Amino acid sequence: MSVASLNASLTTSIRHGVRPIQVVPVLGLLIIAAFPYIAGPHYAILMFSAIGFAIALMGLNLLFGFTGLLSFGHAMFLAIGAYTAAYLTSAKIMSLEAILLTAAGVAIVVAVPIGLLCIRYVKIYFSMLTLAFSMLLYSFLFKFYPITGGDEGLRIRLPTPLLFDLSGLDTVTILTGPMYFYVFGMLIVLTVLMWRLTHSAFGLGLRAIRENEQKARYLGVNVQRYRLVAFVIAGVYGALGGVIVAIPVGLAEPSIAYWVQSGNLVFMLLLGGYTNFFGPVLGAILFIFFQDQLMSYTEYWRLTFGVLLAVIVIFFPNGLMGVLDPRRVWST
Amino acid sequence: MLEVSDLAVEIQSSEILRGVSFNVGAGELVCLVGRNGAGKTTTLRTIMGYVAPRAGAIRLTGTDLRGKSTLDRARLGIGYSPEDSEVLGELTVAENIELPTWTRRTEKSAHERIELAFQVFPNLRRYATRPGTHLSGGERKMLSIARTLALDAKLLLLDEPFEGLSPAIIPGIRHSVHEIVRLGRTVLIAESELQHVPDYADRIYVMERGEIVFGGSLEQAHCDPTVRRIIGTTV
Repeated sequence: MSVASLNASLTTSIRHGVRPIQVVPVLGLLIIAAFPYIAGPHYAILMFSAIGFAIALMGLNLLFGFTGLLSFGHAMFLAIGAYTAAYLTSAKIMSLEAILLTAAGVAIVVAVPIGLLCIRYVKIYFSMLTLAFSMLLYSFLFKFYPITGGDEGLRIRLPTPLLFDLSGLDTVTILTGPMYFYVFGMLIVLTVLMWRLTHSAFGLGLRAIRENEQKARYLGVNVQRYRLVAFVIAGVYGALGGVIVAIPVGLAEPSIAYWVQSGNLVFMLLLGGYTNFFGPVLGAILFIFFQDQLMSYTEYWRLTFGVLLAVIVIFFPNGLMGVLDPRRVWST
Repeated sequence: MLEVSDLAVEIQSSEILRGVSFNVGAGELVCLVGRNGAGKTTTLRTIMGYVAPRAGAIRLTGTDLRGKSTLDRARLGIGYSPEDSEVLGELTVAENIELPTWTRRTEKSAHERIELAFQVFPNLRRYATRPGTHLSGGERKMLSIARTLALDAKLLLLDEPFEGLSPAIIPGIRHSVHEIVRLGRTVLIAESELQHVPDYADRIYVMERGEIVFGGSLEQAHCDPTVRRIIGTTV
């Protein structure tokens, strides 16, 4: 009997049935799938963006929740995705698959050297280094006008997913119809991939590193390699998320790499709960919708967000998924 | 299996080990005995690569370990069970045991290695889904040693495996260590009390102030005046 099956059988015998919390992710995914039918186009497009952020956050959580490395510069990968979409669509490469693959490739090329440097450090030093690289990219995007469009950014034309005939459809119909279900499918696939990854030997190694890298080392875990791979995967998820986030906006502009955006990503993670696999998805959706509602009510929405963040950190350190599933801090 | 020769270690300008030399043959159980601060843990940590020696050499089956990291040494087959057990508290017992089967590939399958760990420490099977933080001191010790079996280590370094345990638990762990030796594994134990040294130990070395002051059998140790002066004999 393998450890996994032993674990599973013992867990099953202990639990005697399905807990309500196990239904929440399935219910959540069903709501996301039906969202264009139960909400108006405005909210469906908001959900479209939230899916993009959710994908980026799953990557960020691989770094923070699983490996214990908090990146304050994850927005740089959102920018890589957004600008890749802008360059390719302006070069008349309209295939969404080509854009996604290129964004993933660029993310790997960028993440490997940055990761090699950053993973040598932990805690605040890692956070500050990633922030520094993100701000470097922001400055580059802001200042190199001929290449990046400067503060005006670059326009992103609506790409076309494979096997979809979008001719004759207006942008809103595409974003709330075929394209919406395409990115929803991406969310499912990338969630399953991340689940498999975090529940593999690699995930076990990352969790050991998070707890204590010295212990992990004498158990044979190659700490630096594991961290680098996690960093690169996080970057790829960030870039894929960046493509999706930028499509409804139709513009890639430097602010997507700004530190505030990285801060928002960390906020989303804390809101949903980094100690739960589905926390990032919940955090992204809540943040985007809450921000939208709050902005329409008050110009002091950032102040409200600040108070909310303080409340979460003080009273709900495991985020909202931690409230829903208080028995298990690490339901990974 | 393990040759330690003229090992000298300095930590913050203090000489912790001075010319420590000893051998552990394949399949042997050897104990380093000495009072707290004698240098036993430093010796094990130096073998494991946590502390860089100022002088001396450590060889594992003829391979010089100089310049090799802790990770390299673990992958060469040195299993380490530290004094405070250091189980991974957020991982379950099963995950703690499973982890080393992924990080070091040997001719034995992961299944075999996991089964062996549970066979030597059968109590752990009952706690397979329990997180490491929910274990007692004795269970942590067992898990810590079980992980070295899952690593399929050739040489096991056990730092104070009986320290701080209830007298009711010690015989069980002592029996498991005996089982490990019978399986043909090489074991080096650091122990502060002579009474805890298993009677099936092949050899003991007594340490005092960073030096080996005695080397011989357990019976010889009981009769040796130096050993009696240093750690006493309560057996």
